[in-house]
Amino acid sequence: MSRLIEYHDVRISLAKKQILNIDKLTVDSQQCTLLTGRNGSGKTTLLKIISGLLKPSHACVHYQGLQMSWPQAKTYIQRDTIYLHQQPYLFDASVADNIAYGLYRSGESKACAHKKVAQALDWADLTHLAHRSAKQLSGGEKQRVALTRARILSPRLLLLDEPTASMDSDAKLQTSALLQRLKSEGISIIISSHEAHTVNKIADRHLLIEDGQIQLLSQASLSDKVTQLNTARNTP
Amino acid sequence: MVNSSFTQPLLKTSFRVNEINQASVAAFQLLISGNSEIWHIISLSFGVSLTAILIATPIALIVSFFLAFFQFPLRRALISLFNTFMSVPAVIIGLTLYLLLSRSGPLGNLGLLFTSKAMVIGQILLCFPLLVAMAHSSFQAADRRAWETAITLGAKPWRAFFTLMYELRFGLIAAVVAGFGRIIAEIGCSMMVGGNILNATRNIPTAIALETSKGEFAQGIALGMVLLILSLGLNAGVSIFQGRGELQA
Repeated sequence: MSRLIEYHDVRISLAKKQILNIDKLTVDSQQCTLLTGRNGSGKTTLLKIISGLLKPSHACVHYQGLQMSWPQAKTYIQRDTIYLHQQPYLFDASVADNIAYGLYRSGESKACAHKKVAQALDWADLTHLAHRSAKQLSGGEKQRVALTRARILSPRLLLLDEPTASMDSDAKLQTSALLQRLKSEGISIIISSHEAHTVNKIADRHLLIEDGQIQLLSQASLSDKVTQLNTARNTP
Repeated sequence: MVNSSFTQPLLKTSFRVNEINQASVAAFQLLISGNSEIWHIISLSFGVSLTAILIATPIALIVSFFLAFFQFPLRRALISLFNTFMSVPAVIIGLTLYLLLSRSGPLGNLGLLFTSKAMVIGQILLCFPLLVAMAHSSFQAADRRAWETAITLGAKPWRAFFTLMYELRFGLIAAVVAGFGRIIAEIGCSMMVGGNILNATRNIPTAIALETSKGEFAQGIALGMVLLILSLGLNAGVSIFQGRGELQA
């Protein structure tokens, strides 16, 4: 596995409060990372920084071995990285048009985009939904459409914020199967999730965000930590 | 004792109901006959107002987007300013513009006073704050995920802006229609900077005021009908458009 991105001294403060202070974070190609942490620990903030959507107060970025300034790195990162919200946003258009959105932005011709969209719909078993309005889909279907829309752009890194949150067990299974297939295609994935058991099988390493810092968790300590976090979440 | 000078106008008004009915029929005939004077007034009115809204809308959309999506000094002050200007009477805008464009004013050498260009400038100033305030509300209420999704899927910021506008199209179109409604029917500014010159700067509201003051109701009613039909058409169009959106959502 080669190194894809390396972040050093990532710091960000929101409303004068330091949210993250990370010494080093590395992402290898074809690696799947599970990111856990309490509510409000900064998981979403970190994912948004990694995707280039949020500018940190300070960060030193090495992209594929090259040290870059934030504006430079942001261009490369945004080209190769896709971030998916906890509840993915689908545009007010058909499922097929949503999937084609990124292709058109990258200058793909209409005919070529149509062909790729048809293949992608088939890949995700969404062909029957192609012409449905994306706004009418269920949560699980939306997540699958969003994953397909991301995959069609062949990103190097996929950032998923709680991809299985508030889904029923069937939708969770379908989503985690899609994630497994994305991983097998060589896409690096970072998944922020409380439901470690759902995505545990595909994760190569587990990171915990605590007090704005990141620690690497072993498989044994992960299950303890997840139990602790879930207890903390459910305690009023 | 009843003051006779007080009751006379009331009697006159009730007596005029028949006159108004006759004038309404005459107004229809005027419109249908293709009276060149009336149709010139209508085309000038629409020309000026459409030019003003076409110029003001893109700038207002960009300004309102920046006000909603970015933090910068004086942002809140600007929002308050636009909200305040939204309710400034047309005649005040007209007076200010008149003072600026009159021969002794700082922009007098441009020779714009009593031209349709001056009317366009006045109408831009009138609708701009309304467009900004209404579009800002739409952008403010927008789902930020739409912007982030467009960016993360490779859209350049300007393309993401268009995507966001598409997502907010119902609110933004309502803003444009409200802006157009404000300027097509305004009289104060057009009268002051246009001068109500026949075949040059006379538009529907100034013509209605003039014809009514002369007691020529037919032309006034005919032009009023055009404004009413326009208003009904615009509102019906927006309702149908928004209804489709609700069905799709």
